[in-house]
Amino acid sequence: MDSALFPEGVKRCSPKVFLLWTLPWLALLAWGGLSAFLCLWKGLNQTNMSNIFAFALWIVFDLAVIALGAGAFFTGFLTYVIGRKELKSIINAAVIIGFICYSGAVAMLGIDIGQPIRGWFIFWHANVHSMLTEVSFCITCYLAVLAIEYIPIVLENRQVQKVRELRLFGHNLHHVMGVFAATGTFLSFFHQGSLGGMFGVMYARPFAERWDFYVWPTTFFLFVFSAIAAGPCFTILCSKLAEAVSRKKLVPDNAVQFLAKVSGWLLSGYIVLKILDTLVWADTTVPSAGLELMDFYREGPYGIWMLIAEIGIFGIIPAILLMVPKARQNPGLLIIACLMNCTGIVLNRFVFVIATLAIPVMPFARFWSYLPTWQEWGIAMAMLGYGFLLFSASYRYLPVFPREKELNPAVYGA
Amino acid sequence: MSAKQGKHKYGMVINLDKCTGCGTCTVACAAENNLSVIKDETDKQRTISWMQLFKVTNGKPFPDTEVSYFPRPCMHCHYHTPCVSVCPPTATEIDYNTGIVSQIYTRCIGCRYCQAACPYQARYFNWWDGHFPKGTERYLSPEVSVRMRGVVEKCSFCHHRLMRAKTQAYAEGRRELKDGEYITACTEACPAGAIAFGDLNDPNSEVAGLSKHPHAFRLLERLGTEPKVYYISSKDWVRRMADNYRPDEFQPL
Amino acid sequence: MEITRRNFIQLLAGGAAGIHITPVPWKMMDDIAIWTQNWPWVPVPERGRFDHERSVCSLCPGGCGIEVRKVADRAVKIEGREDFPVNNGGICPLGAGGLQLLYDETIRFTSPMKRVGPRGEGRFLPVSWSEAVGTLAERIQALRKDNRPEALAAVDGSRPGTASEGLVKRLLQAVGSPNCYSMPSIQNTYQTANLLMQGNAGPMAYDIENADFVLSFGCALIEGWGAPARVIGAWGRWREDSKAKGPKVVQVESRASNTASKSDAWIAARPGTEAALALGMAHVMISENLVDRSFLFNYTHGYEDWIDEEERPRKGFKTMVLESYSPDKVAGITGVAADRIIALAREFGKAGAPLALYGKGKGNLNGSLLECMAVQALNALKGGVNTPGGAVVQQGLPLAPWPDVETDPVARQGLYGGRLGTAGDSRLPFAESSIENMVEAVMQGGGASPVDTLLVFGANPVFTLPDGGAFRKALTRIPLIVSFSPYRDETAAMADLILPDHTALEKREEIVWPTGLQYPFLGLSKPVVRPVYDTRHMGDTVIAVAKKVGGPVADAFPWRRFEDALKARLKGLAEARGLTSWDGSKPVWKTFAEGRPVSPDYDSFDDLWKKLDSGGFWYEPTHDFHDLSTCFGTPSGKFEFACGRLEQAVKEAARGGDAKTLLHRMGIEARGDDAYMPHYETVLSADAGGDTLVLVPYEMFNHSTDWLPNPPFLTKTIFDNQLRRDESFAEVNPETAAGHHLKEGDRILIQSDAGEVKVRVHLFEGAMPGHIYLPLGFGHTAYGVYQKDKGVNAAKLVAGKKDPLTGRTVWWATSVRVKKT
Ligand SMILES: Nc1nc2c(c(=O)[nH]1)N[C@H]1C(S)=C(S)[C@@H](COP(=O)(O)OP(=O)(O)OC[C@H]3O[C@@H](n4cnc5c(=O)[nH]c(N)nc54)[C@H](O)[C@@H]3O)O[C@H]1N2
Ligand SMILES: Nc1nc2c(c(=O)[nH]1)N[C@H]1C(S)=C(S)[C@@H](COP(=O)(O)OP(=O)(O)OC[C@H]3O[C@@H](n4cnc5c(=O)[nH]c(N)nc54)[C@H](O)[C@@H]3O)O[C@H]1N2
Ligand code: SF4
Ligand code: SF4
Ligand code: SF4
Ligand code: SF4
Ligand code: SF4
Ligand SMILES: [Mo]
Repeated sequence: MDSALFPEGVKRCSPKVFLLWTLPWLALLAWGGLSAFLCLWKGLNQTNMSNIFAFALWIVFDLAVIALGAGAFFTGFLTYVIGRKELKSIINAAVIIGFICYSGAVAMLGIDIGQPIRGWFIFWHANVHSMLTEVSFCITCYLAVLAIEYIPIVLENRQVQKVRELRLFGHNLHHVMGVFAATGTFLSFFHQGSLGGMFGVMYARPFAERWDFYVWPTTFFLFVFSAIAAGPCFTILCSKLAEAVSRKKLVPDNAVQFLAKVSGWLLSGYIVLKILDTLVWADTTVPSAGLELMDFYREGPYGIWMLIAEIGIFGIIPAILLMVPKARQNPGLLIIACLMNCTGIVLNRFVFVIATLAIPVMPFARFWSYLPTWQEWGIAMAMLGYGFLLFSASYRYLPVFPREKELNPAVYGA
Repeated sequence: MSAKQGKHKYGMVINLDKCTGCGTCTVACAAENNLSVIKDETDKQRTISWMQLFKVTNGKPFPDTEVSYFPRPCMHCHYHTPCVSVCPPTATEIDYNTGIVSQIYTRCIGCRYCQAACPYQARYFNWWDGHFPKGTERYLSPEVSVRMRGVVEKCSFCHHRLMRAKTQAYAEGRRELKDGEYITACTEACPAGAIAFGDLNDPNSEVAGLSKHPHAFRLLERLGTEPKVYYISSKDWVRRMADNYRPDEFQPL
Repeated sequence: MEITRRNFIQLLAGGAAGIHITPVPWKMMDDIAIWTQNWPWVPVPERGRFDHERSVCSLCPGGCGIEVRKVADRAVKIEGREDFPVNNGGICPLGAGGLQLLYDETIRFTSPMKRVGPRGEGRFLPVSWSEAVGTLAERIQALRKDNRPEALAAVDGSRPGTASEGLVKRLLQAVGSPNCYSMPSIQNTYQTANLLMQGNAGPMAYDIENADFVLSFGCALIEGWGAPARVIGAWGRWREDSKAKGPKVVQVESRASNTASKSDAWIAARPGTEAALALGMAHVMISENLVDRSFLFNYTHGYEDWIDEEERPRKGFKTMVLESYSPDKVAGITGVAADRIIALAREFGKAGAPLALYGKGKGNLNGSLLECMAVQALNALKGGVNTPGGAVVQQGLPLAPWPDVETDPVARQGLYGGRLGTAGDSRLPFAESSIENMVEAVMQGGGASPVDTLLVFGANPVFTLPDGGAFRKALTRIPLIVSFSPYRDETAAMADLILPDHTALEKREEIVWPTGLQYPFLGLSKPVVRPVYDTRHMGDTVIAVAKKVGGPVADAFPWRRFEDALKARLKGLAEARGLTSWDGSKPVWKTFAEGRPVSPDYDSFDDLWKKLDSGGFWYEPTHDFHDLSTCFGTPSGKFEFACGRLEQAVKEAARGGDAKTLLHRMGIEARGDDAYMPHYETVLSADAGGDTLVLVPYEMFNHSTDWLPNPPFLTKTIFDNQLRRDESFAEVNPETAAGHHLKEGDRILIQSDAGEVKVRVHLFEGAMPGHIYLPLGFGHTAYGVYQKDKGVNAAKLVAGKKDPLTGRTVWWATSVRVKKT
């Protein structure tokens, strides 16, 4: 029925099966739609956020997906700026994942602020000292870049290609993609960094505060580092998921292995810096605030396990697995390593958002706990649904994986 | 550490030896500044109370237990004001000529970054539309604008009272205010006279004197936010509550 | 031109680019900016002329001067007056939140109403004032025609000594009913104690500011006791820089309240044993000769052993105390270590001007008579009666009496024989108007209720009485209930007819002698705003009803309206030598201690009235401390440790029979001469201890605990370990909690003989082990969304003994069982 829209010569499931596949994701979107409507109509009282948990599930999700979406800019950087040709087979997927992550995050932020229709005041009355201003500017610009990077992929649709102007436009875009990749890298570097900076500059929150390196707190660099260490792994995971679902091989091993290796080395570098940062912080910032490291890990469920899990279990272990060729060449171990890497980064973002806010600074302030409402989960899950839908549709109708045919001789013949 | 110094630097000194924990300051502030009331005011995570009372106990067993209170307005942090530096649309600002940290409700986008940055929990988000039961909109004061849902608000040091006092002084042909002419609603209402308010830059003001009292201290002083709200307590255990100390760091007087 | 895809796109792109060089998008941005700030449902306070009205707060007997800021005739803020001698600028949370009680339509009656739904549901329909007044007047006429005027009863929460109280009593008297009940408060306790020991039922007048050692037996000194802003103001001064300025303050209380914590010392005596503590101190003071022997010898009766008119030797206070109240024994009763008692007694005995204060929380509920007397005995031992810095003997305000009521035979018959509850039973000679009696009488027997029509003024007994809900049950048997409440309270919800009074800021009201103040003081509030709804001053309504009843009832009210009746009383002040202004230069307590007469600042009644109207107060900043030989109106003419009036009353009541049985029925177990002296009677139930806990409800300063609804602003000051998400919290000592396997936040069921409530546990080291503390004032089932269904009403659990002699409920000694739910 819709086969005219498929990329040249590939096989896709029947529309019925495809529709069935989209149903759960549509359901998630509907749940999110209802939640969003309630939050916009009735206000943020629909959530369990509070004056204590001013940032909550959504910000954790935002930070997490933006970090995971870093695969896009970093793969772009490696492909177009460094010139790793083998990555051309995965760059489309990386861009789409990035676009999904960023557009979803911006949409969530739009619901998260109390006065969404005033959101543009950030640009209108910009406070250049605010890390969130920097984040907003860079994310918005980078989302535009991602859109521009996404457009040529859309334009490669078989039907669109029939329009000469669009075909030429797409072709020209391809030629300047290096410029956009470089711009995207620049923008991403800053917003990943300023997202980290947002927390590092909260100098009255000793749990988050970090010393400045040049004009940025160390979290600025750590967030960039951790994002590029985890982003590629997320891209790998998504591709592997696509392969599993489509029961086809979509990305050649050399591309995956290269990304995994880079991830491994970056992660190990990051972990070294993170450990150093933590030690310096525990030795300077923390005592100067009158606290001891363990004072932070006494409240509710937020124990020292967070640090051990983040650095040890979900940091060092995946770094080793990814660095050791034998390990990462084992398909099972590769998946596990990528999963652990991504978990580590999500945990890191969770700790910076939730634990920072949960740990009271005034000695007489009490500890509060927080559990999201169904509306909050709804918005977060809609993000997931949206991702699956957009990725599935892209896969179905766009040449996301340019080497699909040659990699699947069993399906398409030699 | 140096903060910009302007002409005036308004500040407050709360004497905790005098404070009875009665809550008049909280109520007077709410009445003065058109605070809204949410249906469940016991939801302390979402209520709005620019002057919030914190109750502390010395933790000793019966009958040596003691309680005390920290009435907590906005500290109007003078150095590197945590909330001001983070606010993306510049909806909250510090004016170094008065030291007052202001909040422009109509510009606030409700991102709540300032709440995350403020260690004193002094900022309050309007989780609901302000609800004024039928008839009670009649007590709203035109001196303070009523806030809409989705914006953050906090103690303003009753900024409109500064304006009121200035207007009065100008009408009397004066350019400068006398000590005590501009006081906040909480200062005025406290039955124990526990709150003093005035210009910390004026060496002859009551607050300037009290802020140098040997028992005077500020909340979380070591974070370097330079609060302009001071407290006085003769009790070591109360003073110790005001900041974090590692073992053996606290010096009893 | 043909519209092709190409030029369509060109048009769009060109248009989009072009429009940006016009002002349109920028103007739109600006408009959106403004629009996003102006939600139509965010109220915009109306601007207008600013006014300031000086008046007096009448929300409690504290007598604070207030200034109401008005904008365009709307009251927008209540502030304290600095030109007012009582509060000198300060106010309290209730006063500061007072506008929420004025303007909140959802908690008020907007006109006279009659009930349409079932009782308690609170559904009413408006009626006209003439219909409402007519309905009540006809009912009264019918009762009088039936020769049962006593079936009209009233519960009156008006403050003692006010014109409002006078008018209610007068109505009942003229109609012919003796059944007028005042709401219990600490005032009854003070007045009865003063009557027995000093011979006049004057107000308790403590010269706290001039004392150098203040020993408070349970007064919530900084939490609403007495005239709150006066006491807290003094407290603030005492804590000024050097502590040497103020007296040492010691608090006797079972829980680490704010007062206990902020005092210089806290003595944790078991609730209900404070009298024993006072007597234990007396033991030490007497045996160590730390007493004022000259005062005791010259101006007291019954200190030493004595011989009565019948030549019988009688035991004196000294002997009783030395025999029965040794520190060791008292330590056993009170739980306070003997050496602490001894040290405290020595400190008190050696102080220059020590003052022992008696109180119970804020004083909204009754106290214990014997305890009050034991505390006053401490003052007497140190000669601290009618001295600067002591308990001053005062006679009440010099108000002019109204003309006597001319009763007709119907009324006389009702007044003589119609008293409820106590007919043929005189066990409570000092509890003439106990509501408990009325409740008992109404509930007794299966026949018709002896009360046909009940009037309720300024009170919400259904909620506030610590009676386990007995009053509400009694109401269901009363055919006609008429409420004068301006508020939709629980009692009004049971009423058939509502004749709503004005609220505080809308009415003229006297504040007669702020509780505990040492000098004569009268505050006069005025309407600072025009009545917001169709309400009427209860005084005007009472007069209107009386006029409508007609005959001698109408004749008893020779006034057109309330203000005339008020003025008739205030004429008495014109004759006295008081002042109507205060320049703030010298605190009144200083002038007072000097005892020099002042010359009045008014020359006629009209002048006085004018000044009262604008200034709002009258006071006499002086006192004659030298009349110790004439100031006591007791049978002996002295301060009486052995209370002649009490003995006389008991003898008369026993009518020659056995005084012992009678005393037992009055709740007195002490035998012989001890019975007529301040002594200790146990009020704890026999089964206290073991598996049960003692329930101690406590009053909060930052929450309305009496008949007034709580202004929602005050809930901002309630901690979430007192009330959270509509659940009350009970304070339990961690040790006690461990014994009952309770943790912080556990949900428990508290059961007493009167009822049960579900609450949550808050572990508090400052709670006395073996006790459980519940805040009063929560658990309303009426008013608006901000008051209703918030927590539980601790008063409904109270099921204790009755206070000896007065028969009032003892509300701090209910034994309860707790169960985890
Ligand atoms: N998006 C948006 N933006 C807005 C508005 C809006 O509705 N929406 N509202 C606008 C409006 S109406 C206003 S007023 C502004 C408020 O924004 P600002 O103009 O920043 O007003 P305030 O923060 O209230 O502070 C005014 C400052 O002036 C100081 N001040 C008082 N007297 C003197 C003096 O004599 N000399 C000096 N040097 N300083 C003095 C006070 O201490 C005070 O801090 O925001 C404007 N911006
Ligand atoms: N706590 C605190 N209080 C403050 C300030 C502060 O910084 N802090 N700032 C002060 C300052 S500088 C200002 S300017 C004021 C602002 O106080 P307000 O004048 O209350 O200003 P807004 O909050 O912007 O609200 C303006 C209102 O005007 C109404 N409105 C809009 N257009 C019209 C119209 O055409 N006709 C009528 N009748 N109404 C209209 C809208 O409903 C809107 O709610 O607040 C003052 N009060
Ligand atoms: S009003 Fe005064 S005494 Fe009461 S809580 Fe506030 S500061 Fe303390
Ligand atoms: S106390 Fe908080 S809100 Fe106030 S100035 Fe400091 S950081 Fe800002
Ligand atoms: S919530 Fe409002 S005041 Fe706070 S940072 Fe965001 S825009 Fe600024
Ligand atoms: S200074 Fe004004 S705004 Fe701040 S707490 Fe006091 S009354 Fe409220
Ligand atoms: S203490 Fe009493 S009189 Fe004074 S303001 Fe409060 S309620 Fe009114
Ligand atoms: Mo303004």
